[in-house]
Amino acid sequence: MPADRADDGQLRERLLAGDDDALAEAYDRWSALIFSLALRITADHAAAEDVTQDVFVHLWQHPDRYDPHRGALRGWLCLLARSRALDWLRRRRTQDRCHAAAAVIAPTPPEVDDGVVWQAEAKAVREAVAALPDRQREAVLLAYYRGRTYREVARDLGIPEGTAKWRLRAALSGLADCLAAEGILER
Amino acid sequence: MDAHADISDVLGAWALDGCGDTEAAAIRAHLGECADCAAQARRLRSAAGWLGTERVQPAPEELRRSVLAATRARRPPTAQVTLANAYADQVALLDAALARMSPADWRRADSRHGDVRGVLGHLAGNDALLAAELGLPAVPRPATDDGPALRVAWRTQADVMLAGVAEADLDRTVRLAGTGRRPVRTLRDALVQRAFETWTHRDDIGAISTIAPPGQVHRIVELAVALLPAALRVSDPARADRAWRLVLHGSGGGDWTVPAGTARVEVTIGADAADFARLAANRRSPRTMPHTVTGDHALAEAILRAATTLGCD
Repeated sequence: MPADRADDGQLRERLLAGDDDALAEAYDRWSALIFSLALRITADHAAAEDVTQDVFVHLWQHPDRYDPHRGALRGWLCLLARSRALDWLRRRRTQDRCHAAAAVIAPTPPEVDDGVVWQAEAKAVREAVAALPDRQREAVLLAYYRGRTYREVARDLGIPEGTAKWRLRAALSGLADCLAAEGILER
Repeated sequence: MDAHADISDVLGAWALDGCGDTEAAAIRAHLGECADCAAQARRLRSAAGWLGTERVQPAPEELRRSVLAATRARRPPTAQVTLANAYADQVALLDAALARMSPADWRRADSRHGDVRGVLGHLAGNDALLAAELGLPAVPRPATDDGPALRVAWRTQADVMLAGVAEADLDRTVRLAGTGRRPVRTLRDALVQRAFETWTHRDDIGAISTIAPPGQVHRIVELAVALLPAALRVSDPARADRAWRLVLHGSGGGDWTVPAGTARVEVTIGADAADFARLAANRRSPRTMPHTVTGDHALAEAILRAATTLGCD
């Protein structure tokens, strides 16, 4: 297990023991990521705050659901945040069809240079996403930000389902290679 | 859908939660059996965990407080439960002792507060100080100085406090109770102090030495050591910045060096932990507390004297 994963494992143990300092540490490390991600998906400040709260409440109540052997806590939290943000988006879509019809994937917000450690990693992710072939990027962003299944991606883009599956897999695989080359993701 | 190739193809969609439920179930089953696909799935899922983080901006500052409060409300942190329970235990023990009191017992003389009623009125007054700091309702003192009525008022105030701290932020600052200066510390420390004072007054009214649980003695000593340098600055400014060590044996004991991390100390004081806790309550004097001194005797005396000023009397 890599070193940062061992840290994640220790944090999980402390959370299980009811140590709220561990939760405050987790919040201080990842709240910016979670909040930014939720804001990007929902494009709604209040919703992004609610999602951030949900994510940390979930972590505090169910630290046992995170398995350090399956991946980093950071990624687990991000995928949880994404899933909560998409839930919000779906509820909103049901309430407001017109809004949904007009919705496009929110443009990348302007860069905030506040010296946060994430900026270097964020830049690497940005470059990795930009380096994907256009068709793969289009498919993966649709699935990621809009929560589309591969069948819906196929329909939205007018391509066969097999092609949609392939593009999603190729995009994530390319992203994994790129992030591994940057030393962000283990190979 | 059960062929390995089919599963492998759809892993990208799966990593983005983009499959139907039936497919997802088939994939989960396959991942349990196929190490290659499981490794691939982990890799793709990790990559997906980085999407959406191309731009990062800080969360609004005020969000931190509300998120941490929301989490505490769902599942109280262990420290909160431990400190609140320690205080609740002392409240219950004192209440049980008061319940057994006859009218004559209530009038039993006390050197500091007149009689037992005076002791309880004093304790309730100090409890009310913390309740006020926390914005909790103040329970009025009864119109009469009837013992049982005082008991009900004190107990009600304590219960209000226990309910109030269940979801409070232990790191928020409050002023401690005290006879002179009231140091600003965390609520964590204030709860230790409330349990400490309640325990001390149970000793007072029963005129017996009760036993505090080791964890509680340890927390009392820890708080006393943290407060000692400031107390020493008041009682003996010339010796305020000296380096010393306290080695307490028995239940709840430990080893403290002040300032922390100092390599060379000028004096080491050894004593029993519960005795030292009673010294801090001003229920022992440096003279009557058995202890050992290695090093500067005058400094040891100044420290022990300062320790007697830490309580709520």
